[in-house]
Amino acid sequence: MAAIRTQKEIRQRAPIWLGILLLTNLVIMAVDARDSVTRQRMLRVWVQALVSPAQSLSSGASGASTNFFRQIVNFRQTAGENEKLKEDLATVQLDLRKAQQANVENERLKGLLNLKEQTGYDQVAARVIARDSSIWFNTITINRGSSSGLALNMPVVTGGGIVGRVIALSPWTAQVMMVTDEKAAAGAIVGQLSGSGALGSVRGLGNSGLLEMRYVSGLQNVEAGNYILTTGQDGIYPPGLNVGEVVQVKPGTATQPHQILIKPGAKLDQLEEVAVLLYRPPQRAAPEQALPNVDKTKK
Amino acid sequence: MPQLKIAAALAVAIILQLSLGGIWPPLSYIDFPLVVVVYIALQRHAWQALIVGTIAGLAIDAPSRGLIGAGGFSKTLTAYLIYIAATRVNLENPLLRIPVLAAATLIDSAIYFFWHRSLGYPPSMPFMQTMSYRLIGTTIVGTFALYLLDSLFTERARQRRTFASRRKGARRGPSTLRRR
Repeated sequence: MAAIRTQKEIRQRAPIWLGILLLTNLVIMAVDARDSVTRQRMLRVWVQALVSPAQSLSSGASGASTNFFRQIVNFRQTAGENEKLKEDLATVQLDLRKAQQANVENERLKGLLNLKEQTGYDQVAARVIARDSSIWFNTITINRGSSSGLALNMPVVTGGGIVGRVIALSPWTAQVMMVTDEKAAAGAIVGQLSGSGALGSVRGLGNSGLLEMRYVSGLQNVEAGNYILTTGQDGIYPPGLNVGEVVQVKPGTATQPHQILIKPGAKLDQLEEVAVLLYRPPQRAAPEQALPNVDKTKK
Repeated sequence: MPQLKIAAALAVAIILQLSLGGIWPPLSYIDFPLVVVVYIALQRHAWQALIVGTIAGLAIDAPSRGLIGAGGFSKTLTAYLIYIAATRVNLENPLLRIPVLAAATLIDSAIYFFWHRSLGYPPSMPFMQTMSYRLIGTTIVGTFALYLLDSLFTERARQRRTFASRRKGARRGPSTLRRR
């Protein structure tokens, strides 16, 4: 009888529990969704700081398990051969794979080093430790944070081109919104900075992996294969960074802009190492300060 | 003790959710924490299901770019709805759990998407496509995961295992003696 009563009580109290927990989640959401144009939300900073060790651990574990499965595949490939050849082949393959991996890594790191020479900006190299856990957003998490000198809105790049910008920071990790995200945008130009008038804005197209360039005058000559560079007008990316290559152009007219699709230069689906440029855009003078009589009006 | 088991299952589910996407991105469509939430709700443990729903949701929200709390909200409400269904309808049949899992995935995705749209954080991925992949992945893998959880945790399964070994022993005993 007592057990039945307890079950009944539990059933009666369940809606109260539900209400309390839903309200808690709602409050957390409301705090998290609060508009913060200029400064970051502290809640996210601390939660991310708490979660980052687990993410690093799981990243390490996933790397170990990937290696484990690779070893199994290698073993099955050489199972039909005799014992000696099998051992030799496994050794050679392992060495070759290590060499190939080292070569690929070397190329990537060279690209990052070249990038520093090309851009002239200080940079912090970082490793991608996770992708967005909820699968609904185009973000990655890297293993560098505010303790490495990173700040919000700093551009993230690879040797191939821009990757995105820092949107959230903890002391040891940072969350990067990729350029393919629908909310991401960058000022860009078709071709050389000084040799083209085809200015526009590049935006992400979500999961298609492509970018769209808008507002390029229909009178400008744009063709597939043209490369796109940043202009620096967005106040996030420095000028002259590679964005990608034009893959499709729907020509505009004198009154309508071109519709341009771009394939990002950075291999966004295979990111392992990235560089965060310690770039701070130049401060722009406020419009009223540029006016000739501004001091008089203030006085 | 059951609480410890639940905590362990939840921890494993969260770790799987956070790490499997790194090995092969399509694996992140399988919502392991939701499977654990559904399992507990099906056991008619009301407050445990609600709390596990909240914790699982918040744990997945934290490293994501989405709103912290949206996953907690959706999983808590999903847990409650499954609990209510389980108290009114007998869902002990493993076949019935397949539509329950599918419904849980749909409800969870819809609520998660709704809050993000409502609060001005529209997700980057298209709703129908992402929800369909989640539905397929979570339902298929979740069906087996529920069976696994069931066989590991429930008293009835434990009894079945115990009696199976006893029956086996009883069958073997006399016949073996007779042969000898």
